[in-house]
Amino acid sequence: MLLNGVRNAAIARKQGGGINGMEQTMAVSLRESVQLVSDPRNLDASVEEVFQLMLGVTCGRDSGPMRKEQESVTAVVGFGGLLSGACVFRSGSSTAIRIAALMTGMEFDEMDDTVKDAIGEIGNMLAGAWKGKVPDLAANCGLSVPAVITGRDYNLHVQAPEFQLHHTYRFGDSSFEVTIVCDGLQ
Amino acid sequence: MTEIRALIVDDSSVMRKIVERALRQAGLDLKVVHEAGSGTEGLDLLKAKQVDLILSDINMPSMDGLEFLRQIRAHNLAPGVPVVMITTESSEEHVKQAILAGAQGYIRKPFTAEQVKERVLPLLDAA
Repeated sequence: MLLNGVRNAAIARKQGGGINGMEQTMAVSLRESVQLVSDPRNLDASVEEVFQLMLGVTCGRDSGPMRKEQESVTAVVGFGGLLSGACVFRSGSSTAIRIAALMTGMEFDEMDDTVKDAIGEIGNMLAGAWKGKVPDLAANCGLSVPAVITGRDYNLHVQAPEFQLHHTYRFGDSSFEVTIVCDGLQ
Repeated sequence: MTEIRALIVDDSSVMRKIVERALRQAGLDLKVVHEAGSGTEGLDLLKAKQVDLILSDINMPSMDGLEFLRQIRAHNLAPGVPVVMITTESSEEHVKQAILAGAQGYIRKPFTAEQVKERVLPLLDAA
């Protein structure tokens, strides 16, 4: 439900606005470059770039699962255009607070609106950096504004995506997950 | 360097603060920083305040950065004031659209203070 809403927003943004509207979108196809689009190294490079430049930390893949916390935060940025789907960032509240502190130079005691805003921006930059790795995608895929969800004991479920990348990353003792869900490729 | 009055337009308050910090790190003497959370708010501010530099996100709800830029130029709201777009969108097409809409500079997120310095200072020197 949520993913559909975010995706639709990205599609509407792409169709409405545009960067050359749908004419160019229709002329280009990603079908033949699906291996490039789904290359997991693009996601790793995007995460490393965003965290190095915006937080000043070195971030790498973690083979284990994300450290569980009672409260977590999820940022969803929808893709629309040549690729439809979403970029999903998820972390526990303490990691989210640490990320916001590193981004802003401020201190936070709880997951307030500024922390949620920072996590939304992380999702936005990850989505932009990831699609920027594939030239046709960079030019022909729009992004929605981020949706941020906080709470306890919730799961994100996507029905039969075309492909999905799901990685855990770590910086220091903080960990988080990034998922790219593609449910349509033109 | 003379004191600069800047307008930063972004729907994220965190990004507005990060852009302001990057401008200060770039060596700009910021006299005042106006913040707007949307293109509409940015236009309202430009009708009331004079600025020397405008930095705007592109992907924003209600009025996006490109429309904001078109409205500035259409209504001659900030004549001669350089506008720099700061955005996650990085393709040549996006840059072209921004330039056509009237932007003088383009910075891709994520960015460093050094990149901000390289893109913004020459525009202020030329203005």
